[in-house]
Amino acid sequence: MNPDLLDAAHAWMSAGAEAIALVVIATGLMQTGFYLIQLIYAAFALATRPPVPRSGTLWRRYSEQAPGISVLAPAFNEELSIVESVRSLLALQYPDFEVIVINDGSRDQTLPRLVENFGLREVARYVDEGVEHAPIRGFYASSDIPRLLVVDKENGGKADALNAGINCCRSSLFCAIDADSILESDALLRVVRPFIDEPQLAIAAGGTIRIANGCKVDAGRISEIHLPTNFLALVQIMEYLRAFLMARLALGKMQALTVISGAFGLFKRQRVVEVGGYSHGTVGEDMELVIKLHRHMRDLGLDYRIHFIAEPVCWTECPDDVRVLSRQRARWQRGALECFVKHKDMALNPRYGRIGIVGFGQILLVDVVGPLVEVLGYILVPLLWGLGFLALPWLLAFLAVTFTLGVFVSIATLVLEEIQLRRFTKARELAALALVAVVENFGYRQLSNYWRLQGWWQFLRKQQGWGTMTRKGFRTS
Amino acid sequence: MERARGVEAQVATRLTIELAELMRGSDRARMLAAADALGVPELLKKQTCSRSAQDRLFALETLALFANYTDVVERALEDRSPDIRLGAALALASREDGPNPIDIVRKLRIGEVENSLLLVSLMSDLAERDPVAVHAMLFEDSVPEPAKVAIIDALADRGHTHAPLLASIAKEGASDPELRPRILRALGRTAHPSGAAAIEAGLASEDWRVRTAAAEAAGRTALSQLAGKLGMLLSDGQWWVRFRSGEALLRLGKPGLGVLQRAAEGPEGHARKAAIALLAERAAA
Repeated sequence: MNPDLLDAAHAWMSAGAEAIALVVIATGLMQTGFYLIQLIYAAFALATRPPVPRSGTLWRRYSEQAPGISVLAPAFNEELSIVESVRSLLALQYPDFEVIVINDGSRDQTLPRLVENFGLREVARYVDEGVEHAPIRGFYASSDIPRLLVVDKENGGKADALNAGINCCRSSLFCAIDADSILESDALLRVVRPFIDEPQLAIAAGGTIRIANGCKVDAGRISEIHLPTNFLALVQIMEYLRAFLMARLALGKMQALTVISGAFGLFKRQRVVEVGGYSHGTVGEDMELVIKLHRHMRDLGLDYRIHFIAEPVCWTECPDDVRVLSRQRARWQRGALECFVKHKDMALNPRYGRIGIVGFGQILLVDVVGPLVEVLGYILVPLLWGLGFLALPWLLAFLAVTFTLGVFVSIATLVLEEIQLRRFTKARELAALALVAVVENFGYRQLSNYWRLQGWWQFLRKQQGWGTMTRKGFRTS
Repeated sequence: MERARGVEAQVATRLTIELAELMRGSDRARMLAAADALGVPELLKKQTCSRSAQDRLFALETLALFANYTDVVERALEDRSPDIRLGAALALASREDGPNPIDIVRKLRIGEVENSLLLVSLMSDLAERDPVAVHAMLFEDSVPEPAKVAIIDALADRGHTHAPLLASIAKEGASDPELRPRILRALGRTAHPSGAAAIEAGLASEDWRVRTAAAEAAGRTALSQLAGKLGMLLSDGQWWVRFRSGEALLRLGKPGLGVLQRAAEGPEGHARKAAIALLAERAAA
């Protein structure tokens, strides 16, 4: 073969390889840059957060003025934990609240257990029809427990159950939770704060979710906080720290929050009804609701606030086996893509201000492009270097962006947590998490990106459904 | 008693507010005297200058328990943080030696910076201490409307003495449509018949939030002469209006029940559904 032709082909291949590496590195740098900005905002948000009165003071101050809250707890096949969960919810510290458990067509003994344990009987209830949901079969209540209402409906999924709860609630605010999560007893008192401080502006607020794996639960409350021993659960603690303490806190401060976790969020009912409630046919219904609220308020030209508050804590059990975790991550990825595509006209659209530029910019960079480019980098950059099409500095730059900066962001989040919140009381726990922050970059991170690619694939194939989340139940004393 | 130092002083300071909330009367006075002797107020006074808003708020709230530190807490009304300013105002509100209510309103910059629902608690405490001054603020042009609405809410909670005044304000109507429902609800809480005309006008409002608040007030005030109008609102396009109207009709007793029973047998879909469900709810209760 003509050597000139070979040289030209090699030069062309090298240029192509460098272009690929450049795209991968630039995307990684943009992501890391965005994370660093978020870290700075999160640090600023924590340093300037309004002073938090003690629980006793909060109670004294809010006892007369706190608006009523309906706590909506959708339940599907939760016969093992539902009674304890409801008891824990009824024991929340808040002056004026009701608990609405929505039995979403459970096929087990969820409803009979509730009826039997709380002495419920069938009652009538005049409910709104503002948002759509599957038909309601009946209402159950007891005059001995006026705060509790159980709604029995045909199965329609979590979003559908929450919509039924929204129609049934008679408070201006509702708090959407997972029935199997555990709320700190003063979580409502703390998360309601924006609705008391800025009643005309606040339309939604989310709080921190923490992982309960490894913790001890007593009478529906976390009695002892421990780190889990399972590696996957440990890694998820770091992921949740980054997601809540860094990303959501920062995006909240920027007024560009695009998601309030389905496990714990407080909303102004009227605004949610105006946007049609939770959407059916998406697995990212919690994210989509927040985006719809942004769009609605921006379209109306009204000033509003969507807050993220670091203090209120909801404990949840995270998956600790690979199969369940992979399904969850693929589903989250699919949910983010569904939301992005459904509201693509908002993306980078100046008409939607910060939410269009920053909020959607984050989804585009981290959720849409992120996993594709990163996996492309893992495969192509070492391969092209091995074949001699890329020089060593390109490979080193890729490794630095992927691993060094990744470890830096995780450790910085941990430092921020320790300076501002100090939730991990033992040095040994901090050391373990610091180790996890390093180790997760080698193996777990790549696996996580693979699951996200599966989510991409499911999205392209328009696959529906949630998959099964197998819960082991909290460790009770 | 010897002055506490170091960690002991910190613990004594933390304990002071916790114990003060559990105690009343002479026990509380003795506990505060002991804390004074340990030097707790001096430590708190230093903390009022802390860079941390959290520490400043704690110090102010605790310091307000002691007799001779009102001036220190009052200075916090000028604090850079609105949360601290409001915290100081709430701590000072019930103190006999606290600043004038109108000075507090001005320093908080109500309506401009401060819009908290806790303003109602503040006004309630101020009205307890100085009802004349709080009453007078309603007629003061310089007092912003959100402050006046907080005053109205607070006065409504203090019983029906202020009902005629609230009725006249409700009749004139607030310029801010967001505030009118609050005025009507406050009027409803007084349950005084002098509000009837304002409530009736509210039932005919174009704003559904005003209609909802007026229906609620009509029920609480037991305005049975409005039963017919409430019955018509059972067909309203807004669920909240239908629900509050039905609830009000149930409160009205016999005349209201009559209207609901007719609606339950009537042809209008919304009204029939609301009436049947609310009557069934009542029967079950």
